[in-house]
Amino acid sequence: MYEFLKYEVRDAMVTNPITIGPQTPLKEVEELFENHDFNGVPVVDEQRHLLGILTKFDLLKAFSLGAQAMVPNYDAIMEQPAEAIMTRDPVSVEPLLPLSRLLQKLVELRTKSLPVVDDGLLVGIVAREDVLKALRRATIKHEIPIHEDSPS
Amino acid sequence: MTTLLYTHPACLEHDTGFGHPECPARLTAILNVLRTSPFAALEWRDVPQATPEQLTRIHPQTYVERTLARIPRQGNVALDGDTILSPQSGEAALRAVGAVCAAVDAIMQREASNAFCAIRPPGHHAEPNQAMGFCLFANAAIGAAHARAVHGVERVAIIDFDVHHGNGTQAALEHDPAYLYISTHQAYIYPGTGRRNDRGVGNIINVPLLAGSGSTDLRHVWQHEIEPALRDFRPGLILISAGFDAHHMDPLAELNFSEDDYAWLTQQILAVAAECCEGRVVSILEGGYSLPALAASVAVHVKALMEAPRAAQRSLIKNILQRQKARKNAAGS
Repeated sequence: MYEFLKYEVRDAMVTNPITIGPQTPLKEVEELFENHDFNGVPVVDEQRHLLGILTKFDLLKAFSLGAQAMVPNYDAIMEQPAEAIMTRDPVSVEPLLPLSRLLQKLVELRTKSLPVVDDGLLVGIVAREDVLKALRRATIKHEIPIHEDSPS
Repeated sequence: MTTLLYTHPACLEHDTGFGHPECPARLTAILNVLRTSPFAALEWRDVPQATPEQLTRIHPQTYVERTLARIPRQGNVALDGDTILSPQSGEAALRAVGAVCAAVDAIMQREASNAFCAIRPPGHHAEPNQAMGFCLFANAAIGAAHARAVHGVERVAIIDFDVHHGNGTQAALEHDPAYLYISTHQAYIYPGTGRRNDRGVGNIINVPLLAGSGSTDLRHVWQHEIEPALRDFRPGLILISAGFDAHHMDPLAELNFSEDDYAWLTQQILAVAAECCEGRVVSILEGGYSLPALAASVAVHVKALMEAPRAAQRSLIKNILQRQKARKNAAGS
């Protein structure tokens, strides 16, 4: 477990993640969710500045009962652009943040993934699975077994 | 005296398209229950079409013409994402208004104690100049205006317990103190109106309830807000906008009323009616989209209407006995 404390976000994150633009229709976002095993997708401009994040939760929320219609209109909602429902100014982390701190953040926020931003530009995304993988990697072989008679 | 049931076959022909929640099967489910033996004493009445005069008490003539002109010859036409028309929708909407006006006539002429109008399309979202939320004409508001114009009723109250706020009824009546409109509804859902501080000319009482509210909350607001306001108003006729979508099984909202709550609420309204206006109540179907919950809730609602005269008699006897007892006690002391 000591090895894990040496890891930084950049050691665990997925680089070059799939992104969408603010005008990407929700229909296409839904297809991304259908075809990929991720929970949220970063929304970036042409220079890869992070504008927001759009998760499955945001998509579900778009279909919750509201004042607009008696029955949420599937086609009308799916034609909306990503920026209509994305979470703006999302929490992000820097690539040099200790991974242990990222783990704390994921637990506190109960979020499934966080975008990784360097100098305002998106450089990766890091999810629960990536941290679990890093935990496994850090503890393989190297962990000193605890014996019952070992001094405490 | 009996309870009248107003319905018309055209209301089953208003076809809102595949899978639409405001569907003919709603009315079929209701009528199937009301045809069973516990409801044998209901007096079923056919209904005339609404007259232009009835409609234009609330809607501008141009609105009526414009709306009826949108009725398609075949297939469906959408007025908005929710409000869909079919070839028979015009006939159904005119029968719905006609049912309410005929029921008001019968109750004001003492042909029966009260009445239930099993009709669709519903009406409480239809504003004077805007069809919306499954509604074309403001059935309840038109009935209230009809009671004033034709029968000289001085004050008409409308209790709307549909889970959605009746923006149409409010828009039609909010400037006229001869009407009292009271609505319980779930806050923040469609149509987004019905805030507590919308009070019209002091004649609108909006009681928004938060998602998850149920029996206890209903009893609380009835006792502290609705009943006192209704009694103070001294209505000559009470109309009920009877939507059953606040039921805990309804798919379009998140309130948790039960059939028992609908029975209780109906009895409370009838008790006030017995005191203020000789029991004159006309109940008008609005929403309710879980077919089993709708059928069961309408059943207890109509049962309560049928038992109203006996319940009122019991309440009267109880009051007399209480007064006698009080006199005896006073004489003895």
